[in-house]
Amino acid sequence: MSDTLIEIKDLKCRIDNQNILQGLNLKINKGEVHAIMGPNGSGKSTLSSVLAGNDNYEITKGSITFLGEDITEMSPEERSWKGMFLAFQYPVEIPGVSNINFLRTALNERNKYFGIDSIPAKDFLKMVAEKSMLVGLDNKLKNRSVNEGFSGGEKKRNEIFQMAMLNPKLAILDETDSGLDIDALKIVANGVNKLKSSENATVVITHYQRLLDYIVPDFVHVLHEGKIIKTGDKSLALELEKKGYDWLKTDTAI
Amino acid sequence: MIIKDLNQFSLNSEENKEAIANLSKNLFPSRKEEIWKYTPFKKFKKINFHNQENFKIKGLDTLNLPNLDGIVIVFENGRYNSKLSRIVETDEIDISFSSDIFPSNNFQTIKKNNYFTSLNSSFLTNSVLVNVNSNTKISKNLNFINIVSSDNCLSNTKFSIVLNDNSNINLRQYFLGNSSISNGFINHENNIYLNSSSSLSIDKFQDLNNNFNFCNEFITQKNDSKFIMNTFSCSGIIVRNDIISDVNGENCHTELNGVFSPTKNEHIDNHTTINHLVPNCKSFENYKGVLKENGVGVFNGKVIVHQDAQKIEAFQKNNNILIDQDSIIYSKPELEIYADDVKCSHGSTTGQFDDEALFYLRSRGLSIKKSLQLMTLGFINEVIQKTSNLEYVDFVLKRLLKE
Repeated sequence: MSDTLIEIKDLKCRIDNQNILQGLNLKINKGEVHAIMGPNGSGKSTLSSVLAGNDNYEITKGSITFLGEDITEMSPEERSWKGMFLAFQYPVEIPGVSNINFLRTALNERNKYFGIDSIPAKDFLKMVAEKSMLVGLDNKLKNRSVNEGFSGGEKKRNEIFQMAMLNPKLAILDETDSGLDIDALKIVANGVNKLKSSENATVVITHYQRLLDYIVPDFVHVLHEGKIIKTGDKSLALELEKKGYDWLKTDTAI
Repeated sequence: MIIKDLNQFSLNSEENKEAIANLSKNLFPSRKEEIWKYTPFKKFKKINFHNQENFKIKGLDTLNLPNLDGIVIVFENGRYNSKLSRIVETDEIDISFSSDIFPSNNFQTIKKNNYFTSLNSSFLTNSVLVNVNSNTKISKNLNFINIVSSDNCLSNTKFSIVLNDNSNINLRQYFLGNSSISNGFINHENNIYLNSSSSLSIDKFQDLNNNFNFCNEFITQKNDSKFIMNTFSCSGIIVRNDIISDVNGENCHTELNGVFSPTKNEHIDNHTTINHLVPNCKSFENYKGVLKENGVGVFNGKVIVHQDAQKIEAFQKNNNILIDQDSIIYSKPELEIYADDVKCSHGSTTGQFDDEALFYLRSRGLSIKKSLQLMTLGFINEVIQKTSNLEYVDFVLKRLLKE
């Protein structure tokens, strides 16, 4: 069986008649950690949205193959059932819906898709206790409305808690480090590392090299104007930290 | 305990038949009047209403209602169905039945009559009066089930309740229309009188399917009494509630909450008036509308603080969600204040669910339907949690969300 988890070929997409991704190629194998860096407006968040199935973006060319299946037209929920997870840069507040109820519904919807019985309440609560320890999520937050009144750090922890509960094959972390203090960053990174296995992969989208000290990437890609213009190992991130992006932009211009 | 069955139906007289038939003609209130502006009377047209004598419901269990362990009073097609009812003798409550109108001097002094209350009084099919004796606290719910089970059947029913000093009871009212029938019409009236220091909480559930339900409700509160009414309106061709509450004693608490969820061209209309006649009272109003698939909703809430009714605190709120582009809500919160030392506010919002939130839930594996359900639940939760019984909450939610 192939080790390829996801393969993106010549992906082009646009929103409101503005082209964002302009021929992006990326292949991710099981067990790998990929970091995607790039200047503001280069298409990083668009890439994560498109992968998760946000239909605000129109895919004009190319394909996304996830576990051997073309998912370009697949709904976000189905992508989730098959093992895709996006940790949002700005997690959405949903008033009146408790975190716990939301996650239980999510797990049961997936079980229904695979024809499995609903998860018994006892097992579910045990799982919640276990997984929330991973990111040190306060007990009170689990019963509060989804992200409502959470601090920036709590929201990000909650994202990783949800990731732990859903146990995805491919996790995309969209600027999970933004808004986190150093202690919270360590906790969140530690949680992500614990969830890593030879069967899953992680895509870390970030502006700063600092997160990559904690979540060590196998590959670092630089995204610019909707394309990956350079790929390297973790030392590329250090180099970017020092030199910025301008030297790469001129490289491609030549 | 007194149970009188004074079923003296006079409906079969030619005169009354003709009057009922007039319902399908143009005798309705004018839609030029503000309070009738949005009620689609045309939906009554061409329906020949009649009265149906037969009982069709086989057993209470077929209705699948939650925990009916207290007293159960069943009206079917406008008549008291003694077989389905369960009335336990106690020293605490007196229940009597009649087709007569009860003496009104006990109730609101100025009765606000309209076409439908006149229709109700003129062609009353059956009426029940509940009297809760002084210094009693009834622990089990009193259940009143009013169901229409025959096509085109018109029921004119009254429920009257008097809470004597320092008494306390919870009432659940069900207005149901069998899903297999159509064009039945329950034209109901609630008369409610709370004496000093009494407390009444009503959960009212309306699920009429292809039938009509109008409820005219008159409440009078004396000093130190507490009245809470939660209205859950799930379905019906036209469902209309007209609540008029006279707060006529100091230190009263009045609370009107509601959730309404019309779909498929249904029309659900909530009109409320709270008259603050005396000082030092508080009232709260919170209605949530969830509308989709050409559903139409109306909220018209009025709080009137009369002259010299100082130190009133009154809060009124109506929030609506339009799940799709095809639904309509008419929302009109009103405050009329004639006193100068009061704390009152009112507000109304109407919006749609956030696309970003929908995407967030879907990206976690919730289908569109489930996501909308969950967001709707979040939206109405504030009102739903006013009722404490889990089984009842489940029951109400299933129908409100049309699961």
